[in-house]
Amino acid sequence: MSTNVMGIFQFEDEFIGALRRLKESGFDGLTAMSPIPLHEAEHILGFDKSPVRRFTLAGTLLGAAGGFALSVATALTFILPTSGRPIITIPPYLIISYEMAILFGVLFTLFGFHVVSGLPAWRDKIYRPVSNVDRFTLVVECAEGENSKLAENIILESGAEEVSRVEGDR
Amino acid sequence: MADYIEPTYAEVNKDVLRAMMETGPKYWATLGTSITVAAVCFFIPWFYQLEVGVGAAGMNRSAVWGTYLSNFIFWIGLSHSGTLLSAVLHITNSSWRKAIYRSAEAMTLFSLITAALFVMVHLGRVWFVHWTIPVPNQMGLWPNFRSPLMFDVMAIATYLTASSIFIYMGSVPDFAAVRDASSGLRRKLYTIFSFGWRGTAREWHTLGWAYTFFAVLVIPLAVSVHSIVSWDFAMSLVPGLHHTVFAPYFVTGAIFSGTAGIVTVMFLLRKYMNFERYIREIHLVNLGKLLVLLSLIWTYINIMEVFTTWFSGSSYELEALEWRLTGFYAPMFWEMILFCAVVPLLILFKRIRTSWKSMLIISILINIGMISERFIIVATSQPRKFLPNAFGFYFPSIVEISITIGSFAVFTTLFLIFVKWVPAVSLYEVKETLKPLRRSS
Repeated sequence: MSTNVMGIFQFEDEFIGALRRLKESGFDGLTAMSPIPLHEAEHILGFDKSPVRRFTLAGTLLGAAGGFALSVATALTFILPTSGRPIITIPPYLIISYEMAILFGVLFTLFGFHVVSGLPAWRDKIYRPVSNVDRFTLVVECAEGENSKLAENIILESGAEEVSRVEGDR
Repeated sequence: MADYIEPTYAEVNKDVLRAMMETGPKYWATLGTSITVAAVCFFIPWFYQLEVGVGAAGMNRSAVWGTYLSNFIFWIGLSHSGTLLSAVLHITNSSWRKAIYRSAEAMTLFSLITAALFVMVHLGRVWFVHWTIPVPNQMGLWPNFRSPLMFDVMAIATYLTASSIFIYMGSVPDFAAVRDASSGLRRKLYTIFSFGWRGTAREWHTLGWAYTFFAVLVIPLAVSVHSIVSWDFAMSLVPGLHHTVFAPYFVTGAIFSGTAGIVTVMFLLRKYMNFERYIREIHLVNLGKLLVLLSLIWTYINIMEVFTTWFSGSSYELEALEWRLTGFYAPMFWEMILFCAVVPLLILFKRIRTSWKSMLIISILINIGMISERFIIVATSQPRKFLPNAFGFYFPSIVEISITIGSFAVFTTLFLIFVKWVPAVSLYEVKETLKPLRRSS
């Protein structure tokens, strides 16, 4: 059976130190919460290039193709001859294509953000509102017994204000 | 400033959320006035025009475009402040943007909504507005995507969507802060708005990437939107409008007017929402420098417009230019030059650019100049095209003047509602600019 050990820190450097030591000690189930983005924490937890970029690329390409296809399809469906000019005119359709590329790029990025970040997540998870104000919170998932004792020690030695064992989804 | 005391993280939450959640009689009085003016000056005249037809406006046979479209350009221009500026400063990692970008982005959103309203007012038969959207209908009618007006529909719809998403995504961590600080129905609402945000490293990491991509996509979008608006005019053959310089002219004018708009809004937020600790002199000075730069570019393009018209030797173009510089609307033209090319130079003086009141006055004057610019473009070109037998004259009717005044109340109403629903200053980004919470420091 696994349990969660939670530590709350006042200082960013101590929080980062604890995170690094826990990672080096082999703990993998780590969740770090902070009131501001901490790139060092992201780096320790192994977050490198985000897959969101693939969503953006896919959306932009799809939008560009879709915008052009839409312009061509509407021109062919509702034929509007203008002074002998071609029915399918490339330059103006590229503008529609450009706008649609951006529109779909934005929409797919939004979708990608939700998929990658796991939001929305309205069901209860371990959380302390102070971590959205001025505290840094660390949650470690570990096996009962020696393992959780070790996690508690590392967190305390690193300078946590408060350490506790909590139940719930990490 | 020497006496500036940096707030703590907790104080940032307290100050910003208090400004959002505590509402005094002054706020309600302002909101009430704003709603009344919007109803009386904007919506009632609009309904009157719907009842009697667009003849209620001063537009006529040779002047088929009037104040509604010049206002449309003005509001689209004002919208370029927020999202574009915010995105550019985000990409360039300018930390001074962090305290002001949220309100600037809100300006974008509400300016766009106001601009879109003007399209509907101008259309006359507003119930046919859906004909511009490419959806199947029983008439088998599809939009003509070769028309710059259709470019406009696509560009503005995209800009509105992108700006809304941009401001919303940046607000998600702050919605979580509102959720944590509230109870009851407000808490339930903000739980939904915040998507269950906890501020985990994964969430921050993903938001950072997504936000940067939004910014990268929004910059070319914003440039394209006002370029496309300029093509509504420049792609016609009308003397005074058929200029290749129109796209950069419009984009520069838009950013210029939008930046001046940010200064105005900053002053009001600082004074009436007590954000003195967050909106500071550095913001004023940096925006002032930007205003001077934009004013110089805008002036250069104006000189080029006059020069290329003269150099072309086209009698129609020269006649249109002469009418603009010396005709009925010449005082408005020279007022525009004074407010947009001369007055901003005062910002070069340190005493002026560090004074909130002086900068407020200058920012308002710039936007009066920019309203005039858009009006001149519309009112002095179409009624004076080519042969004298086709010449006409345009002067706005009382309905158009009223709707123009009312549009400012529509914008103010939307903004006042916004500041009570969304933290007007970004909590987490302001915290990032503060001294890090480190024991070692």
